[in-house]
Amino acid sequence: MRRAVAPGFALALPAWIWLAAFFVAPVGVVFWYSFGYKPGLFGTHANDVLSLDRYAEVLTPTFFDTFANTLWVGVLGTALCFVVGAPIAYWMALKAPARVKGLLIALVMVPFWTNFLVRTIGWLILLSPEGWLSSLLQDLGFEPLGVLQTRSAVLLGVVYNYLPLMILPLFVAFDRVGDVVREASSDLGGTPLRTFARVTFPLARPGIIVGVLLVYIPLMGDYLTAVVLGGAKGNMVGQMLASQFQTAQNWALGSAMAIMLVLMIVLSIVALGALARLIAIPVRARYRVDLMEEVA
Amino acid sequence: MSDQQPIRILAERSAVPGVLRSLSRRQLLSMTAIAAGGLLLAACSDGGRPSPGAVARPTGGPLEDQLSIYSWADYDDPALLSAFTSASGPKIIVDSFGSNPELVAKLTAAKGTSGYDVVVPSSNYIPQMAANGLLMKLNKELLPNLAHMDTQFAVESDPDSEYAICKAWGTTGFVYDTTVINRELKTWGDFMDAAANEASGKTSVLDDPGELPGIYFWANGIQWETNDEEHLAAAEDYLVNTLAKHVSVFDSNPANGTIPQSTAVLIQAWNGSARQGIMASSTPEKWRWVLGAPNTEIFMDTWAVSATAPHPEASHAFINFMLKPESQLANVAYMGSHTGGAGIEELARAEGLPYLDMIFYTPEQVATMQPSTTTEGIARRVDIYNKMKAAASA
Repeated sequence: MRRAVAPGFALALPAWIWLAAFFVAPVGVVFWYSFGYKPGLFGTHANDVLSLDRYAEVLTPTFFDTFANTLWVGVLGTALCFVVGAPIAYWMALKAPARVKGLLIALVMVPFWTNFLVRTIGWLILLSPEGWLSSLLQDLGFEPLGVLQTRSAVLLGVVYNYLPLMILPLFVAFDRVGDVVREASSDLGGTPLRTFARVTFPLARPGIIVGVLLVYIPLMGDYLTAVVLGGAKGNMVGQMLASQFQTAQNWALGSAMAIMLVLMIVLSIVALGALARLIAIPVRARYRVDLMEEVA
Repeated sequence: MSDQQPIRILAERSAVPGVLRSLSRRQLLSMTAIAAGGLLLAACSDGGRPSPGAVARPTGGPLEDQLSIYSWADYDDPALLSAFTSASGPKIIVDSFGSNPELVAKLTAAKGTSGYDVVVPSSNYIPQMAANGLLMKLNKELLPNLAHMDTQFAVESDPDSEYAICKAWGTTGFVYDTTVINRELKTWGDFMDAAANEASGKTSVLDDPGELPGIYFWANGIQWETNDEEHLAAAEDYLVNTLAKHVSVFDSNPANGTIPQSTAVLIQAWNGSARQGIMASSTPEKWRWVLGAPNTEIFMDTWAVSATAPHPEASHAFINFMLKPESQLANVAYMGSHTGGAGIEELARAEGLPYLDMIFYTPEQVATMQPSTTTEGIARRVDIYNKMKAAASA
């Protein structure tokens, strides 16, 4: 029997070229620039003398303070997105009637089609102390709204802007679990809670990880959401990086910051992943079923 | 045993040649990708400056059918732009930048291919931009309306308008909410005091690395463009350790929300946007504008033409059109800045434009305004700016 074998890489070729040209090469350029310096008022970068000096300039208390603030927004924002998004995704995938699922997904997606800056500025108008919501509250005898330019406003904007990125992978994950194994679990005497904890949740775990990363990583580089709603309280490391590229026109220092930011985001993911595993150890120890031991 | 482990594959014997073939192709492919990356890297490395001279000087011939303007955001009355197109023909494309370095970087990096015609740099950038071959020498024969300009507002480094003509000039001050701050504020010292008291947590400052140390320097009689490290360190100490904790927002255009929506009660602002903000407020009477004192800034943005402008004839016709007194008046009304024309103040008064005291200043007031001359200290100022932002978000 002979069949035409299309070599596997042929299908992946466009993706390879795309990634090489638009991801690997630009990151390589940024990495290269980070060893250079700013040659003068009209130059943004030069690489004829290579050094690690830019990295020394990046590693200041200002950078770490700003990064700490960014980490706070990133971790708390992702956690809130998960807390809000998981029940919605769970309900959409497993409880909502099949015929409305399409509509529900559309409802999650449609706001996402509007430019996110426009949506964020929409919140700015809604939350402002002289906006209609605030006047309504004042008519009802409450204080004028003072939520803008606080950390609460930052989190509100983050949850609003990133929620679809959390809901969609979670929806797919819960949907994949399907009713069959869940029914089997309850037929074997599992309570709804046990079914969720020992069947649905573990099977949906890859989707949960995807959702968390899909929110966390862009959020760590974002600064518009935080700055628009949080004002001075929404300072993010992305803003600092942008100021080096745009205002100071120091691409060498900006590049070093960008590389440091990537490293620190990767480090924080590794740390969070390790933490999650640490928490999982006692759970696994309790519920682990070792087939080899059972057989023996 | 050899160093290389043989690859073990469980496969049908007939499939083996295909597997081997794809393996060697993959190696080839990865090498191609690396080579392509290297080419891209080479393409992105820096090269020379744009070469002027490739473009002919305009002689007053027929206008081209297009004109591309690179300016600050929302800096011209849109009605004026469409009036020029309907009267003279060239279709206008407007693009905007947020800072002079951004403009310079765009013109330099494009190596003459930016495609921009008319650009609007600040006056302090003109000497370096001209010296670096970024600007075209203007043909003043094509700019008869230059006669309507007040020579007092010519670019200091270019008094004969070889490269640049005043487009708008303005100054820095602050606006405060008199229902919250019940005393009269007059100086930057008063601003600093109010920020620490009535306006704490409700203070807005300009999102600009030069203007922030400016507050401290103007209040303390120090030339705001200083590069003296002792002065800069003192400014840094004040901004980071004192002012930062009272600041609620860094906003360069408070006209958009901070003033009309009252999200702050004490707001550092440029006069044009302060005026727009007060006019957009539902309670304009509660706001008071204060020109920075004892000293403050004077900035000027200019009409200039890129050295490699693809449409030089249209560029000159457009600038000449914008220098007409009627055009200048329309722009004064639209953006609230003095356009540098002679007699424009009288025209504005006759027109009955509101808040003229925010646009026009007495010679005594103008004498207290310091131009920004150097641009060398920007890196140190960005450093202070980032430190202040970190402190404000803590």
